[in-house]
Amino acid sequence: MSATRVAPFGDGALLIELEQRVDEAIVARSTAIADAWESFGHGTAIPGYASVVLAYDPERLTGSAAEEEAHRALRDARTRGRSKAARLTLVPTRYDGDDLAEVAVMSGLTVPQLIDLHASREYTAFFLGFMPGFAYLGTLDPRIRAPRLASPRPRVPAGAVAVADGQTAIYPFASPGGWRLIGRADLRLFDPAADPPSAVRAGDRVRFTPL
Amino acid sequence: MLHVLAPGLRTTVQDLGRWGHMRDGVPAAGAADPWAHALAQELVGNAPEAAGLEVVGPPFRFRCDDRRVIAVTGRDARLRGRGALPSCTAVLARPGQELVLEGGPQGRFAYLAISGGIAPPAVLGSRSTYLAAGIGPFPRALAAGDALPLGAATVDAGRAGTGAAPLPYGDDLRAMRGPHAGRFPADAVTAFFAADFTVGADSDRMGLRLEGAQVAAEDGEILTCGLVAGAIQVPRGGAPIVMLADHQTTGGYPVIATVIAADLGRAAQLVPGERVRFAEVDRDEAVAARREMLRLVAALA
Repeated sequence: MSATRVAPFGDGALLIELEQRVDEAIVARSTAIADAWESFGHGTAIPGYASVVLAYDPERLTGSAAEEEAHRALRDARTRGRSKAARLTLVPTRYDGDDLAEVAVMSGLTVPQLIDLHASREYTAFFLGFMPGFAYLGTLDPRIRAPRLASPRPRVPAGAVAVADGQTAIYPFASPGGWRLIGRADLRLFDPAADPPSAVRAGDRVRFTPL
Repeated sequence: MLHVLAPGLRTTVQDLGRWGHMRDGVPAAGAADPWAHALAQELVGNAPEAAGLEVVGPPFRFRCDDRRVIAVTGRDARLRGRGALPSCTAVLARPGQELVLEGGPQGRFAYLAISGGIAPPAVLGSRSTYLAAGIGPFPRALAAGDALPLGAATVDAGRAGTGAAPLPYGDDLRAMRGPHAGRFPADAVTAFFAADFTVGADSDRMGLRLEGAQVAAEDGEILTCGLVAGAIQVPRGGAPIVMLADHQTTGGYPVIATVIAADLGRAAQLVPGERVRFAEVDRDEAVAARREMLRLVAALA
């Protein structure tokens, strides 16, 4: 608790920071704080690994009133259960990414060992961000070592399965990207016409199945 | 219907943004200069949530089937019929009349509002266009020949000629100290507020890229964290990026400062090569500045 900090983030938002490390319990707490804030009706909330952005309308709440409400969200989050049941999504994956061999070498593994390690775990979707439907999944087996690229690729194709710094993800759309590509998923991750639009939501479980 | 005769470089349907799906990773999008957009909607008598057009790279030539009140706003943006028509002013467009939105050298984002609003069904709660993922009822830049449905217009001819003062544009942006300011070396924040930057050519609706001065970051990355419009991220290279309408919902670089809501339009409207400086303000000053902008976009002559 002592590591918790509430700071202004511009004139219409606050940032709550929790202890800054990757930990499933801290991510779950970030999500619970975001749920609590949204239940108050002041505005949207965006959880991260160990932080939450709380948006509000400065015409309706003063900064200090918003801070009091942020502390109320912190208290409420402690008694909040998971907002929805976790679903398991299977992601059929062709392991043929451009960086597959390099990641195997960096990790001191053979390619089949790398694939086996990546596909043998059930991951948690910590939160979504970066682009529509992009779920931060973790954590990777620590034997998979994949630091981010020093300079991002100008274009990562839609469906790319990537790893970086203990995390894995699937790119829902083509975009620039700094993660290392190990495969391709055959799954539509974001459909604006669907409700909800994201195939994987925060708190869900994900498993990759090799094709 | 509004008929597009010449689309300009990149014209999109925009409103105040899509705020309900940030947790699905969906950027808010919406007008890059929300104040100019709001002023245009106010001038034609639309509700604040009405959608209009954001024109990048004019001329944008169009006509409407029926009689409408229209208005053009934005930095260095003009309207022309047979002759020059005033900007920041409600203008009566006759049925079928050809009109052109034009821009000058300092123009970047121009806004066109039409009474009744651009009115296709909303997608995920907004009519905004997010081009990168093709989200919105018109999920692409407009092309010649496009016909856009308009909402029912209560055309008040007496409204024509109503004008507003042009919004203030310029190169000084007010910013609050950022939530990660403490992670920068002690003098880096002071240096940031004293530095002269230049707007990079690769600036777009996602972000304003700053060149010319480097900001020293203690540690180039943070745990991925949510973002707001105006947040100034400092990536490892030290060249700051100001988050604009299409900014991603989360980021992994520390935020040294945040451009205040009142100055988001000014930030978006800066043209590549232009000089920019940041002036530090506190939250009370930021809220007062925002209130002043709300007053400006509601104050019609």
